[in-house]
Amino acid sequence: MKRKPWLGWVMFGITMLVVFMLGLLVNSVMERRTEALFVNKVLAPVGEFESKNEVWGANYPREFQTYYETADTTFSSKYGGGKMRDMLHEDPRMVILWAGYAFAKDYNQGRGHFYALEDIYNTLRTGAPKGPQDGPQPASCWVCKSPDVPRMMDKLGIDEFYKQTWAALGSEIVNPIGCADCHDSKTMNLKITRPALIEAFKEQGKDITKATHNEMRSLVCAQCHVEYYFDKKSVEGAAKVKFPWKNGMTVENMEKYYDDIEFSDFTHALSKAPILKAQHPDYEIHQMGIHGQRGVSCADCHMPYKSEGGQKFTDHKIQSPLNNVANSCQVCHREEEKTLVANVNERQDKIYQVRIELEDQLVKAHLEAKLAWEKGATEAQMKNILQLIRQSQWRWDFTAASHGGSFHAPLETARVISNGLNKAAEARIALSKVLASLGQTGPIQYPDLSTKAKAQQYIGLDMSKERANKAEFKKTVLPKWLEEAKKK
Amino acid sequence: MKKILNYLLPPRKWVPFVIVAVGIGTGLFAYLLYVSNAVSYLSDDPKTCVNCHVMMPFYATWQHSSHARVTTCNDCHVPHNNVFNKYFFKAKDGIYHATVFTWRAEPQVIHIKEAGTDVVQKNCQRCHGDLNANVSTNGVTLESKKHGEGKLCWDCHREVPHGKVNSLSSVPNARVPLLESPIPEWLQKQTDSTAIAKQKKTDQIKENKN
Repeated sequence: MKRKPWLGWVMFGITMLVVFMLGLLVNSVMERRTEALFVNKVLAPVGEFESKNEVWGANYPREFQTYYETADTTFSSKYGGGKMRDMLHEDPRMVILWAGYAFAKDYNQGRGHFYALEDIYNTLRTGAPKGPQDGPQPASCWVCKSPDVPRMMDKLGIDEFYKQTWAALGSEIVNPIGCADCHDSKTMNLKITRPALIEAFKEQGKDITKATHNEMRSLVCAQCHVEYYFDKKSVEGAAKVKFPWKNGMTVENMEKYYDDIEFSDFTHALSKAPILKAQHPDYEIHQMGIHGQRGVSCADCHMPYKSEGGQKFTDHKIQSPLNNVANSCQVCHREEEKTLVANVNERQDKIYQVRIELEDQLVKAHLEAKLAWEKGATEAQMKNILQLIRQSQWRWDFTAASHGGSFHAPLETARVISNGLNKAAEARIALSKVLASLGQTGPIQYPDLSTKAKAQQYIGLDMSKERANKAEFKKTVLPKWLEEAKKK
Repeated sequence: MKKILNYLLPPRKWVPFVIVAVGIGTGLFAYLLYVSNAVSYLSDDPKTCVNCHVMMPFYATWQHSSHARVTTCNDCHVPHNNVFNKYFFKAKDGIYHATVFTWRAEPQVIHIKEAGTDVVQKNCQRCHGDLNANVSTNGVTLESKKHGEGKLCWDCHREVPHGKVNSLSSVPNARVPLLESPIPEWLQKQTDSTAIAKQKKTDQIKENKN
């Protein structure tokens, strides 16, 4: 070195060059990493809590257009589909089973998400409020109907939202189920926007933020397609949407939860049993079926990939997979479409068969209990019977209310119905003893309940009045709501 | 040996400077490993493959396919005959991919190379041996196909698993697990002015409520 000082400079130069090139390489890695941020750049920015689906749609025309196809009501499968079907007309037994509850007035097969608001305006279950503080239902009924809900929850505060009446928010909740319900406005990733699901996870000691992307493709649906109830105890004056998942998701787990808090949705008008009304436990039942157990998500079948112009995107026309067998079932199952549909129908037929048997038993149990009360039965005599009716009807409704449950998990559904049949049988045996002790001998005369109208008349519903009130509401109050909403 | 070492060792006066210079080089190299998420390439997690966004369409189409629940990328795309071969192939492929990606030489439609074809074909056979027994495709390799003996699996099963559409722009809105910012969270909090503003806003709302 001493003899060749230039050698030092050479080494300095080489080192510098290496570091310089290394720096360039690092920079190129960073640049290419950054590109990933722009792969999905939103061109028309979407504000936080933006509830207008059209604003989002400007960025994602394909997804948006397919979302609006949920307006299509042409498809009807054997038991489901997007067509409006009057379920009470098809099965008048339900009128009797829900006597004393709004479901006996009106219950339809749901249509696509596009109709979420229109159908909640129309259903007789929401009554005909005349002013903002009037009407039978709390604001909680809006929770699953619109992306305006997270917006209003943010504006009012969650508890405050739940304290409102349904009618009070009529002019605020105006966009049907859409983008902001499941997507983050900044990253467009899937997002849980409804507090009830987050709380339900916490109660089970799980953290929903740890859910994988594939789990999220079911969990965004589980914000609404689950069993829930209105918790009126935890916050004064509020009807909070809450899931009974603390002990688990099976029909028995949830029943235990409800028994522990001594909850019932209504007291039956005929039998006086403390009834639990099940609300579509779709996510729970799906988890117990083979598809759920294999990690197939809701979106895999209800929102498969669609190809258009050399591009693939998620089909946002959320619908029955039976209307899209090629892209749902046949991705994994290499059978003919006819065969696959027949396989699905077979499962549903068999479940439906035993479900109707259970309904027949339950209807009779309610009518016999009513007769027992009329003949002077005591509370003590009836207590155990009413408990059995409650248990039986909870099992029936758990399976009947779930959309597609008989396909999602046929085995679990059949098991639950079998248990229900057993409870109904026990109830009726006990009832026959009570009736005999009260002097009822010979066959019991059951009324004619063969049509929706006859059944509704029997339980004392004045349907023409209900319908007239609803027509009045749609003529006076509803246009006002929509008018006010336009100004906002 | 000692001689060479002695020759390379810097004069005493230089030692501190050399230590600093080597440190700078090493530090920069360590940063390169960090920012390129290099450690993740040892794993079999499909997330690793979308470190580079050009792989998005392949991740997304796989994720929507019947193979998604039962395979990872590596189940098909690296050899499984022994662990040395697996990592040798990974390294070879990785260096090739990294070079192409760095030089921005990726084509609009990526096609699999011969070496990859051979590996994938063998992996089809690895899992689907019993199915192959029913048709005359058992034991077909790239080599035998070239001699006109038999066909590769995807000569017929053309859509498995990535579908027919797989240009770089074929799944514009796919939700794939892209890399988060390399800046650690605590630092982000310190440097993100909007985060501070947001925190202030929520604090205010809480105060108003109380």
